[in-house]
Amino acid sequence: MSQFMGFHRPNGDVGIRNHVLILSGTVYANTVCERVADTIHGAVPIVHANGRCQVAPDLRVTRRFLAGTAMNPNVGAVVIIDHFKEEGMTAEDLADDIAPTGKLIATVNIRGEGGFISAVEKATRYAQDFARRISLYQRDLAPMSKILFGTECGTSDTTSGLASNPANGLAGELLIAQGGRMLMAECTEWMGCENWLTEKAASPAVAEAILAGVRHMEARALASGEDIRGSQPTGDNMAGGLTTIEEKSMGAVKKIGDSPIIEYLEIAEAPTKTEAGNYVMYGPGMGAESISSMAAAGCQVLTFCTGGGHTSNHPIMPTIKVTGNRGSFELMRDTVDVDVSGVFTDEITLAEAGRIVYDEVARVCSGYLTKSEALRDNNSFAIHRVGPSI
Amino acid sequence: MKKVFVVYATDNVGTAVLEPIQTGDHVGCNGERSDLEVIAQADIAYGHKIALMDIAAGDTVLKYGLSIGSASCDIKAGDHVHTHNVESNRGRGDLAERVTVSAE
Repeated sequence: MSQFMGFHRPNGDVGIRNHVLILSGTVYANTVCERVADTIHGAVPIVHANGRCQVAPDLRVTRRFLAGTAMNPNVGAVVIIDHFKEEGMTAEDLADDIAPTGKLIATVNIRGEGGFISAVEKATRYAQDFARRISLYQRDLAPMSKILFGTECGTSDTTSGLASNPANGLAGELLIAQGGRMLMAECTEWMGCENWLTEKAASPAVAEAILAGVRHMEARALASGEDIRGSQPTGDNMAGGLTTIEEKSMGAVKKIGDSPIIEYLEIAEAPTKTEAGNYVMYGPGMGAESISSMAAAGCQVLTFCTGGGHTSNHPIMPTIKVTGNRGSFELMRDTVDVDVSGVFTDEITLAEAGRIVYDEVARVCSGYLTKSEALRDNNSFAIHRVGPSI
Repeated sequence: MKKVFVVYATDNVGTAVLEPIQTGDHVGCNGERSDLEVIAQADIAYGHKIALMDIAAGDTVLKYGLSIGSASCDIKAGDHVHTHNVESNRGRGDLAERVTVSAE
């Protein structure tokens, strides 16, 4: 499959979903956002704990996460709600960031509207209008080269590094062969196998950025005064048989294949290049923050490789769960989409497993619902913090 | 004979990914080391690793052909290989001086 059916946006992006986003600018607007989204067909609330009393570098990252999520091609229209005029990040600031995409945008300020009830009413009217207008948008053929394919792993076990992750890397290679791009974050999990990554770097600058990113993340862990073994590998990783961060890393980075790494990105930053290949992003191993950073960077679809059977699903970026553990697939049948455990029993080759993953990604790009989407289990929006609350 | 999975020819551990291993089992290898055979000295749960040869304290433990840490004590062929006898060489805040990191 070299083409998919997607929503062509005014700026040339192609979405695989067509949501009305109800975006909270601050923690104090969350409930208003949820009430509006409850009422409106196809609306998704983006709520979070941030937006107030953050130091400037931290607030900049929050703004990238929020604006980037709204700029994602899977979003057709955005209603932004804030509480007050949040310094450095008003609803209008976010609207300015999002405006170049050409999407429908409206802002509502709770205090400006005279309180909760009026704000809900105004935002609901905007959202109703937007939902109807974007319902006229039709899917049309688009090349797979328009896809930015994110990949993540979580609740990893031994099968992850041996089956689901390498199968996923092969699926990425199939997309890259069509001109597409694959994005991997979680630089915590590059620790111990940096050379495997830097050998693929398209330039010395990319290689140095990869090394610097790992050093920075490792230094943050060291600065806590703690042994990183206390949190990596996680307890469920160790129960599954993974012993050290190095072992976890080796299995983890196999989520991407052997194509060159074109660009290194800061967290939640969109690629500046369109060249086919792998892209990597600074960020933590924490799943919800990591996949949210990739959605904010513009990924339309994400595979989540999981030995233990994870439930993670991003609100606007379909999150396809892939496992190499048949027991987890059977136990977590409600949320895990693809089983590649046949690799261990000679039922399928690793190359065939890669094709199975790619075909699932292509189907989801054309509108096929993931299991978690069908359940509306939109549990995984989270913003990475780089500073304290003040 | 029960089998473990060996990823790379230079590895000194195998993974019980096909079936769990019991103490005393004769264990052979799928993957890259079909020549090796050991007797399990411990139960090896699904997903866990077994030593394919003796690994001295301080020596490198190899999987995927790459270091996954160092032996923290002498490991005998057939032993369960995990956190009780392997330690990571990375992110060791307990061994390093405290360092300061800027906010971004």
